[in-house]
Amino acid sequence: MNAAAAHYLEQCRALEAAGALPGRDAGWLQAQRDAALQRFETVGLPSQRDEDWKYTSIRPLTVKPFRNTVANGDARAAQVTPAHIEAARIDGLQSHRLVFIDGLFAEEFSDAVDAIATVDSADSAKPSDSDGGAGITVAPLAGLLDKTPERIEHTLGTVAPRCSHGFTALNHAGARDGAVVLLEPGARPHRPVELLFINAAVDAFAQPRNLVVAGANSAVHLIERHISVGAHAAFTNSVTEIALGDGAQVDYHLIQASSAAAHHVCGVWARLARASRFSCRTVTVGGRLVRNDLGAELAGENAHCDLFGLYAAGGAQHVDNHTTVTHAAAHCGSCEIYKGVLDQRARAVFHGRIVVAEGAQKTDATQTNNNLLLSRGAEIDTKPQLEIYADDVKCAHGATVGQLDADALFYLRARGLGEAQARRMLTFAFANDILGRIENEELRAALSDTLTARLAGGDAVDGGIDAGIDGGGKNVDGGGGKIDAGARAASNRESS
Amino acid sequence: MLEIKNLNASVEDKAILNGIDLAIQAGEVHAIMGPNGSGKSTLANVLAGRDGYEVTGGSVAYNGRDLLDMAPEIRAREGVFLAFQYPVEIPGVTNLYLLKASINAIRKHRGEAELNAVAFLKLIKEKAALVKMSEEFLYRSVNEGFSGGEKKRNEILQMALLEPAFSVLDETDSGLDIDALRSVAEGVNQLRAADRAMLVVTHYQRLLEYIVPDFVHVMHAGKIVRSGDRSLALELEREGYGWADENEPPETAS
Ligand SMILES: Nc1ncnc2c1ncn2[C@@H]1O[C@H](COP(=O)(O)OP(=O)(O)OP(=O)(O)O)[C@@H](O)[C@H]1O
Ligand SMILES: [Mg+2]
Repeated sequence: MNAAAAHYLEQCRALEAAGALPGRDAGWLQAQRDAALQRFETVGLPSQRDEDWKYTSIRPLTVKPFRNTVANGDARAAQVTPAHIEAARIDGLQSHRLVFIDGLFAEEFSDAVDAIATVDSADSAKPSDSDGGAGITVAPLAGLLDKTPERIEHTLGTVAPRCSHGFTALNHAGARDGAVVLLEPGARPHRPVELLFINAAVDAFAQPRNLVVAGANSAVHLIERHISVGAHAAFTNSVTEIALGDGAQVDYHLIQASSAAAHHVCGVWARLARASRFSCRTVTVGGRLVRNDLGAELAGENAHCDLFGLYAAGGAQHVDNHTTVTHAAAHCGSCEIYKGVLDQRARAVFHGRIVVAEGAQKTDATQTNNNLLLSRGAEIDTKPQLEIYADDVKCAHGATVGQLDADALFYLRARGLGEAQARRMLTFAFANDILGRIENEELRAALSDTLTARLAGGDAVDGGIDAGIDGGGKNVDGGGGKIDAGARAASNRESS
Repeated sequence: MLEIKNLNASVEDKAILNGIDLAIQAGEVHAIMGPNGSGKSTLANVLAGRDGYEVTGGSVAYNGRDLLDMAPEIRAREGVFLAFQYPVEIPGVTNLYLLKASINAIRKHRGEAELNAVAFLKLIKEKAALVKMSEEFLYRSVNEGFSGGEKKRNEILQMALLEPAFSVLDETDSGLDIDALRSVAEGVNQLRAADRAMLVVTHYQRLLEYIVPDFVHVMHAGKIVRSGDRSLALELEREGYGWADENEPPETAS
């Protein structure tokens, strides 16, 4: 085990020793933690020698020792003020909201948990438009594990793969808190559940662990957002597990908008029972090193998942999306569309794996990854990987890497739009295709503003580069970044 | 209004325009005809300022100013409009959004106040009616999935909205059915005015029955090889361009 792994192991051990890990009376949980610790001791942290980490170096996480924060409400309050929370609000969004600061539940900023947790069956007699949240529990993990761990004994830790990389094990060994969302069969709260994770303390190491269990025919909108207060470095290693019962529908949004110095290793794992529907939108606009492992297992017939993703990165950002869609049952569909906009020296990785198990006949799976490189320094590595063990399946995939369309750019300029405006308009249109797939209007509007601001911000640098290249105000073709996609995408085409 | 003198231009080191001379006064409509590949669209693109067309000689003055020195958007804001032979599809940008950005960029350039959403909507609906375009098209992505004829009509909608002083219509009539041709021509004719001018590129004299030109020019191998009045179009329709290959051009005028 190298020094970095030892350091993070020590973080977990220290929490354990201090009695800071929740649910200490639950033997099953303790066993789970021990297994996770053991696994972490065995596998350690991934390195670029691992095929799945070939293009992503975790160096930023290892050169600086990120540490547990002290569980001290006052210290937190000093860093995160109500004004911060107010500023982080999504305009017009009415949600059940839990706020976590550096991985710890911030009750003072959250909606009254008890109120939400108790309005279940008693409330279901009310007309549904009152939306107290009939049949839904939204609670912090630590509290729930301390009081009623049996409620999640059979679900927590059952969705995330046990043999995934070391970060997952690390999370399971040392998570202090997170959110639990439980939906009773048929529960369909109108209001979305919003989980807001804030990096606040300098060099904080946070490990939120979330669990969503959607009972049969329930439906919920979830928004998991990661933001920062301040611009200092932090490291969040989160895991979210989502179990969908028969006919359940979960609309899940992962919004990564933390500061340019914050790192996020993120696992999202969903298992879909018969005829359930999982719709996942991942929007990454912030963070320095972001690694997402997203897995959806279609475990029951007629299940369907949509995985939509947008990453807009500039500066020295590195965004790595590894997705795995596993068709384990017949008659399931999956549709995956990821789009990337990369500026300056940003680097992105997209690795989309589709596994069609033996017997998963009539599978219909599609995967698309389109990238826009706005500068020569930007780089994308995109790679589809199909593993098909059934014979009656439809599986399509495609990846593109390109620059802004010169003809479209000229068309807009010929209609009087300035070059910068034309570029922004085309870039926005490219990216907005993904935002357009977000049904929640308030969230969509907020993200659209974020994206607009981002593109405007990137423009100053862009303009500077362009001015240097074209001199005479004539030809400006911003692109030309290193393109690694074509060859690899092609060479992996037959990988079934 | 527009004075083209000995214009030479090349694409990828291939000379395409070989000394174009053409003067267009305010209030005039000029038609350019000529065989495929003779350089008509190249001329249109050079006038609009497209990248990749290198002007290797000559000059173009627009209202006395050097047009070639202006960025494409400045030309547009100064009143130069190109209706594209092949309008570009722009997924994700609605027609409405583009048109509003466009007219406001032009208004701003002229020192006029930008139009607010309400005023703009009223105006654009009037213009859509003028070119007989269903309002539904305003809410669709620019040209995306438009039929050939719808694209051309969309160009004319833009032209009707922006009211350019000098328009180049590059084969706007190609691919139009009779009714579309008529309404497009109507839109164009509405814009004819003593202070405006047009350059109409077409293969068919039929268009010129609707948009009656003051002058007709024949382009061949990157040069204007003949000029005349509208009867020249009729003659070309009867006799084709075969003569242009064999003979030296009988005369060059503008
Ligand atoms: N980007 C380009 N690269 C190479 N050759 C080009 C390019 N654009 C134009 N040309 C060439 O320049 C010549 C003139 O083309 P242009 O499009 O101007 O013709 P045109 O008169 O408009 O023809 P048409 O009637 O078919 O529209 C053609 O031989 C064409 O192939
Ligand atoms: Mg042409």
